[in-house]
Amino acid sequence: MAVSIHDHALLGVFDALIFQKTAKGFEHLGDLPSWFPPPGLSRETELSPEQILDRSFFLQHFLHEAQAWWESGKTGPWKSGLWNEPALFGEDVVLEATAVRHGSFRYLILQRFGPDMVPIQPLLQKAREEQLSHRQAVNHHERTEAQLGSRLAKSEQERDDVMAVLDGLGLGTIMIDANRVVTFISGKAHDLLQTDPARIIGRTLIDGLPWKEDDSARVEEMGRLPGAQRQVVRVVMDGKKRSATALEVEVQDDPRDPRKTILLLKDVTEMEELRRLLVGPTQFQNLIGKSPAMRAVYERIRDIAVVDVPVLIDGETGTGKELVARALHQLSPRHDHLFLPVNCAGLTDSLLGSQLFGHKRGAFTGAISDHEGFFESAEGGTLLLDEIGDMPLAIQTTLLRVLQEGEIIRLGESRPRKVNVRVLAATNQHLQELVDKGAFRADLLYRIRVARLRLPPLRERREDIPLLSTAFFEQSRVALGKMGVLDIAPETMQSFLRYSWPGNVRELKGALEYALIHCRGGSVLPSDLPPELSDGPPAVQSSPFSKPNERQLILDALAQTKGKRAQAAKILGMSRSTFYRRLTELEIVQEDSDR
Amino acid sequence: MIQKKICLLGAFAVGKTSLVKRLVSGIFSDKYLTTVGVKIDQKKLSIRGQDLMMVIWDLYGDDDFQKVRASYLQGSSGYILVIDGTRKETVDVAGKLHELAQKTIGPVPFVLLLNKHDLVDEWVVECPMVSDLRDQACLVSMVSAKTGEGVEAAFTALSEAMLRS
Repeated sequence: MAVSIHDHALLGVFDALIFQKTAKGFEHLGDLPSWFPPPGLSRETELSPEQILDRSFFLQHFLHEAQAWWESGKTGPWKSGLWNEPALFGEDVVLEATAVRHGSFRYLILQRFGPDMVPIQPLLQKAREEQLSHRQAVNHHERTEAQLGSRLAKSEQERDDVMAVLDGLGLGTIMIDANRVVTFISGKAHDLLQTDPARIIGRTLIDGLPWKEDDSARVEEMGRLPGAQRQVVRVVMDGKKRSATALEVEVQDDPRDPRKTILLLKDVTEMEELRRLLVGPTQFQNLIGKSPAMRAVYERIRDIAVVDVPVLIDGETGTGKELVARALHQLSPRHDHLFLPVNCAGLTDSLLGSQLFGHKRGAFTGAISDHEGFFESAEGGTLLLDEIGDMPLAIQTTLLRVLQEGEIIRLGESRPRKVNVRVLAATNQHLQELVDKGAFRADLLYRIRVARLRLPPLRERREDIPLLSTAFFEQSRVALGKMGVLDIAPETMQSFLRYSWPGNVRELKGALEYALIHCRGGSVLPSDLPPELSDGPPAVQSSPFSKPNERQLILDALAQTKGKRAQAAKILGMSRSTFYRRLTELEIVQEDSDR
Repeated sequence: MIQKKICLLGAFAVGKTSLVKRLVSGIFSDKYLTTVGVKIDQKKLSIRGQDLMMVIWDLYGDDDFQKVRASYLQGSSGYILVIDGTRKETVDVAGKLHELAQKTIGPVPFVLLLNKHDLVDEWVVECPMVSDLRDQACLVSMVSAKTGEGVEAAFTALSEAMLRS
């Protein structure tokens, strides 16, 4: 049975306002729904659909759509979608209009949805809130990322700026972490070190940096000192691709983390070169000094070195005679061959003869095999006969023949052997006086002093004392591990300048080593010096080893070292051979003589 | 009295309903309540001595769940495009709705509002992003439904433009 749309009871179930379109307008069907009229509207006066439609902008709009729908001939409902019109209903009321066509009848149905009756509302609300929340989180992350990116860019910019400034100032930068591993090297530092950064980064200071190990050790040591005690470390690198580079290395704590270290490298090659040109040569081969006396020595060495003749080197003990001999050898055409120094003092005729010229097996008791002498060993090179004034007369005779004939005969043999050796002789004695006394052969003297070179005592070149002191100080504090000692106090240097230095340069070096061992502060003080210096310097003497006090000095030195002659000789700035000779000459007898 | 229909268009949660509430009732609520369907309000404005009744159709936010029905735009004399300055994607939605409006009702006046200016520190929308819309709008304004900044001026500007056209 067909249901009539005019069945009021049935229509009431929908709780809707239902209008039928008529020729005159709209006619209300069924009972009024529970929600109509809303507060403020009168049932009697406001019931007309036209009046409702007139007051609703949305319905007026929808009626145009509904009209088109009715006229289209299509069946089924045409919905308006939800709408809310507070001006009409006085509160938030959600409505939906539906246009329906049933045969020739046209209906307009208005339904109301309360807040709990719109099923899409909570779903949409939740979905959109989640979407908003997600968007906020994404925005937050993007902002954080942007901020971090900005900070990173700023940091990088600041770092680049600092590097540019440091590079502009000619400063290379190396950063070292708490494990002493290089973590960063600036472009300028890379240039200065002439090394691929990949070979430095990740390696330790000692392993990674292309310096001498001693230099790296000094830098390390400096880093361990309190900031105020640190000094610039000077490093010279032998360039592989270019000339040597002189660097000043300043060690700084990382202000952000004191366990880390920053090295600032400054190229001072040009400054060093200018300084060198300004002050003149301060060093020649291994000889140190820029005094006129030493410059004259350097000139003389250059002249003599290239002439293949014997040379007599004359100078007080400790003046560096062996260093001069080595320089002569190095600058001579023989420098690719052996340089052999032989001390002629304190040996018997046979022993010295055997050492110099060699011997045949059975030549004397104990000669168990053939033995090559120094002359043969030094073939093509240079032989230094040190303390030649102490050479026994018998050996002098043999030596003279060797120099004249250029051949030697081993002890126990009769066959001469040709030798090609340049002979240098050194002495601290007046050989002419020995000749006069008959202790030295005159003809040998004339033979060995074809060329002569006299080394000035230190007291005659006092201007070299600061230079020598500084050089020995630097060498010794590294060797002795006393990097905490930073300098020589001015008053100590004054003591050095006042002292007469009977043992010459060797004594100066020994005194500095002694002082460094005893030094407990950052500077070498006069109180750190050996007694002969700290107790007040002796007056400058023309002959420091004058007979009256030499015996006492030696005895004092032996007492101080408890009889140890090597140490006593060192204190006095004497070579061991000179010391032994003086013991014999001064008839100083020790019970234990082999120490 | 002259009566003009306008529509508020934009992505969801850009603040369309809050802008209308600020204009009509002078109130604002921080609580977000999504609009379902269409909400119609009226506001009487006086433009150079002439009274105008603005019928404001606050359309639900356009997204994947609800697409704005083009027929709702029919009869509008102007419209307001709303963008949330803190959400870039609302610019794209505004652009699409602008195209829909132009296609449906032709070249009527519209204003472009960049809402939530009170949160300007969190804004991610920058001027170049809205350059196309800016060139066509009769007004581009940064507004805040929360503080009321620029709200009435924007509606007034649209009203003037509608009366001129």
